[in-house]
Amino acid sequence: MSSDQPFITDESRVVTQTRDSRMEGQGDRFNSRLREAFGSSPFILTKFDKFLNWCRGSSMFMLQFGIACCSIEMMHTYAVKHDLDRFGSGVPRASPRQADVMIVPGTIVSKFAPRMKRVYDQMPEPKFVVGMGSCTISGGPFQEGYNVIKGAEEVIPIDIHVPGCPPRPEALVYGVVKLQERIANGEAAPVTVKPYELEEFSDLERDELVETLADQIDEDELVMRYNFADSP
Amino acid sequence: MGTVQLFPEFVSETLGLSGVLGDVVGSLVAAAVVGNIVLAFTGVAGPWAKRKITAAFTDRIAVDRIGPFGLLIIPAAAVQLLAKELIVPEGVDRPTWDLAPLVLPASALLGFSVIPMGRLGPVNLQIADPEVGLALVFAFASIASISLVMAGYASNNKYSMLGGLRAVAQNLAYEIPLIVTAMSVVIFAGTLQTSGIVAAQSDVLFSVGGFDVPTWYAFVNPFAFVLFLTANMAEIGRNPFDIPEAPTEIVAGYQTEYSSAYFVLFYLGEFVHIFLGGAILAVTFLGGASGPGPESIGFIWFVVKLWGFFLFTQWARSALPRVRIDQLIEIGWKGMLVLSFANLVLTAVIVGVIA
Amino acid sequence: MSLEVPDTTETDEVPERTPDELAALLGDLVIDRDDHLNAPGFVIRPDAVQETLSRLKQEAGYDHLSLVTAQEYENRYESIYHLKKFDDPTQEVSVVVPADKDRPVSESGEAVFRTADWHEREAYDLIGIEYDDHPDLRRILLPETWQGHPLSMDYDKDRPQIATLPEHANPLADHHRDAESDTMFLNIGPHHPATHGVLHLKTILDGEQVIDVEPDIGYLHRCEEQMAQSGTYRHQIMPYPDRWDYISAGLLNEWAYARAAEDLADIDVPEYAQVIRTMGAEMCRIAAHMLALATFALDVNGDFTATFMYAINDRERVQDLLEDLTGQRLMFNYFRLGGVVWDLPEPREEFFSKTRDFLDQLPGSVEEYHDLVTANEIFQMRTIDTGILPPAVAKDYGATGPVARGSGIDYDLRRDDPYGYYDELDWDVVTEDGCDNYSRLLVRMREVEESAKIIEQCVDLLEDWPEDERTIQANVPRTLRPDDDTEIYRAVEAAKGELGIYMRADGTDKPARFKIRSPCFSNLQTLPEMANGEYIPDVIAALGSLDIVLGEVDR
Repeated sequence: MSSDQPFITDESRVVTQTRDSRMEGQGDRFNSRLREAFGSSPFILTKFDKFLNWCRGSSMFMLQFGIACCSIEMMHTYAVKHDLDRFGSGVPRASPRQADVMIVPGTIVSKFAPRMKRVYDQMPEPKFVVGMGSCTISGGPFQEGYNVIKGAEEVIPIDIHVPGCPPRPEALVYGVVKLQERIANGEAAPVTVKPYELEEFSDLERDELVETLADQIDEDELVMRYNFADSP
Repeated sequence: MGTVQLFPEFVSETLGLSGVLGDVVGSLVAAAVVGNIVLAFTGVAGPWAKRKITAAFTDRIAVDRIGPFGLLIIPAAAVQLLAKELIVPEGVDRPTWDLAPLVLPASALLGFSVIPMGRLGPVNLQIADPEVGLALVFAFASIASISLVMAGYASNNKYSMLGGLRAVAQNLAYEIPLIVTAMSVVIFAGTLQTSGIVAAQSDVLFSVGGFDVPTWYAFVNPFAFVLFLTANMAEIGRNPFDIPEAPTEIVAGYQTEYSSAYFVLFYLGEFVHIFLGGAILAVTFLGGASGPGPESIGFIWFVVKLWGFFLFTQWARSALPRVRIDQLIEIGWKGMLVLSFANLVLTAVIVGVIA
Repeated sequence: MSLEVPDTTETDEVPERTPDELAALLGDLVIDRDDHLNAPGFVIRPDAVQETLSRLKQEAGYDHLSLVTAQEYENRYESIYHLKKFDDPTQEVSVVVPADKDRPVSESGEAVFRTADWHEREAYDLIGIEYDDHPDLRRILLPETWQGHPLSMDYDKDRPQIATLPEHANPLADHHRDAESDTMFLNIGPHHPATHGVLHLKTILDGEQVIDVEPDIGYLHRCEEQMAQSGTYRHQIMPYPDRWDYISAGLLNEWAYARAAEDLADIDVPEYAQVIRTMGAEMCRIAAHMLALATFALDVNGDFTATFMYAINDRERVQDLLEDLTGQRLMFNYFRLGGVVWDLPEPREEFFSKTRDFLDQLPGSVEEYHDLVTANEIFQMRTIDTGILPPAVAKDYGATGPVARGSGIDYDLRRDDPYGYYDELDWDVVTEDGCDNYSRLLVRMREVEESAKIIEQCVDLLEDWPEDERTIQANVPRTLRPDDDTEIYRAVEAAKGELGIYMRADGTDKPARFKIRSPCFSNLQTLPEMANGEYIPDVIAALGSLDIVLGEVDR
């Protein structure tokens, strides 16, 4: 469990609010009420944990989720030649309620980020995310774009990054299998807090931008605020 | 029917119990055994066989890393899904929302109570054999559509709503031809009792080179068989009639909002329904548990027929496009209904002339 | 539907008007001339756009508004309407509409060409020009709450922005509040299994019937034009076209840029390289059409069915060939200005025999698809006579590619505005006149066979090409600096239709304005025409038959 090893950060390198908020509040996703009740981790529960982790790692339902270029390679990964289903993780579900893993295959832009956050929030815990391609790491070739979120991790936590533009299907298979391995070993995602959260408009700090938009947006409408200057 | 001992009676006799206690214990044990057999089938079918069969149709391998032939995916998938968070969305209509996933598998499992599943050694795997057996099984099976409507309505989701409404329209359009076609079987057999219908199919129709072709109604009246098969596919909502779910149109239809255990129940219910559809088909048209060999292995033949039907549904799923909702209803009301009545008249004439 | 202009031009020969004749036709609407490399350009009064466009359309036969480019100069704003003829796309004219720097307003051309609707909205969104008389001038690619116009000169990229996640209201709710009928608003997308990416359809339903659908795009607006404007002509732009239409149509897109830039900088491409380009491009077309077939089967059949898997498998074969040729599976980056980056892979015989093997098995697979898909009666029931797009409407919206050819419009730039090696080869333009979902699919499937014919001829040519004449690149200066204020608009036939590039050089090694004419952008605009009044499954099928790629729609 990752909670056994505290997440080590180099304080000096935390320079921005954006990065700062990433480091806080990482919790243990596998914590069960049962274990809370027992207080510690008795033998039977650790065995049960192990079994559960094995189950979670062995069978995963993917979210049928296509964004950009990488989704084409993702389709190939599901299809005949590469057949992700061999590893027990090749059944895409259209509804986020029934999915365990979300492969984020492409560039996230300002208009889509709140929607992706919403889809992620709709998935039941424990949920895992595979970031596919350079765009989900940093914005990739489009990082300079005025509209591009600099990596999916700005919005949702990512467990496995598969680099490439786009990664080959083999790479995605490797990434997914690595994820399965990590889940089976009980390693949770190290990052859980996101700087770009959905929040109600009235909760935003009143600055020039908020003042300008005040007559267009309802107080209780959900919004996402982008601090492009502050992004990595 | 005094000649055939039913499963609960066998249990109570074996345990040496009699009276009310014997009835209760016998029924419970019998129901548990039959229920578990069916659930075991669905357990194998859902996470494993469905994937393997689809993969075979599409030149893939599918699960093969987890256990032999990937069989361990079955416990893994079951536990994994059950161990997930159960999301209850805001605005759902409880308790309807919670009941819907229970009603679906329950209705299908209830249907199995009157299905004669054949003999396995000394045991006759049939829980009850009422005189209105066939009517009862259709009644049970059609409760399923209520479950879909409940789910669609209570989910507070527009896609679910559309799925639920589609389910009603579809079931209305196909239930009637299904039952009217089944009536032709009743005319042949002269009874509604499921065991009676099976018994009526045990004669020899004709012999080809020493091989006896039995009077299975599929051979006696192939036209009715095809009609029934089609209506049955619509009834259980499989391709090309899977429109209440229609993944690419309305996401996942009535089950869009369901996660975790409730989703498992729906998934389970769907598969139990496929098997119930297969069981009804086997009883009415394929001679129930009859087949070559001694009567005591009849159950094996019955299982083969169930899985044959399951294979057929998966074949259709891989190959056939989905019809549109208005076309489906048109086929149902304008095509199937007329044909099924024609079949009924035809059967009545044949039976009247011959008998 | 606006069917005001019936298609009357039956003859193949369209009389070409000289620029002076056009100037005479437009009379005093013209205030200046601003010729582009590809076409004569007329600067007109900002309040006479409709008059000019309708004269050019009705009297001179320019019935295809290919693109509207907007840009900002130091002293003015400018919208350029690039007009062409469907019967002969080499006849082009540019209508240049200047707008005031302080208050950029000009008249909308929407009343003459429906397609101007979205193009002008985009110009408003990214540049900030406002269009009088426009029916619905809103942002199209960026969130409605966006501050500033990102491609205008004074835009600050680092300013914070806010995007909303609004609950959508039913805009027709008030109109249908009678006892008998009630409507329902349904969001299809941006995350939905049938939207082929991140498209949002604002759908209004009456029962299962769609009474209004409005595509809402911009969920994949990756600033492709900004990216290209900040790259140098010679090397830095070429990788980006691969990512516009990412359904492995990479080489076709690269060709669009290569063609425009080569014409702008006056570079000749060696014949050998042209043959390789033609062959590679047609392989890409096969791959793209296979995916179109696969996803269409996904939309109509549901789930990951046999058709989907088989089509992906065939794509895999083409991708293997393309990987041998270019070194990458999807983002090829294989073209260079003046040629291609390297010669065919060694040993050449192996590559040729692999290609021939592929071509040999292709008719068999196409036959299989016909058995599995187009000959299936349920499939025909679903797709024939649904999603009707009449030719006149298609032209009004500037639809091109298989969408236009499925409506019987005989328009293919490979033949009508020849480039590469196409005019030396023997192949046919495929059209179907059913105007429905089925025709559009058939066009794609038959185009696959035509592409195979082209590839075969290219392989024959390449096999016999003398070894000492295999020049793969022309001599191109290390840094390209086209002359100041030269402008060009060039298009090629990509997998989805007419893919055009407008470029304005300002004397530096980077384009001052780089505008992409995406075929999918125009094709998607026709969706409401096809979908209104149909059932939900038909909308999904119509969307599938349009074969859009959001990367190209949003750019």
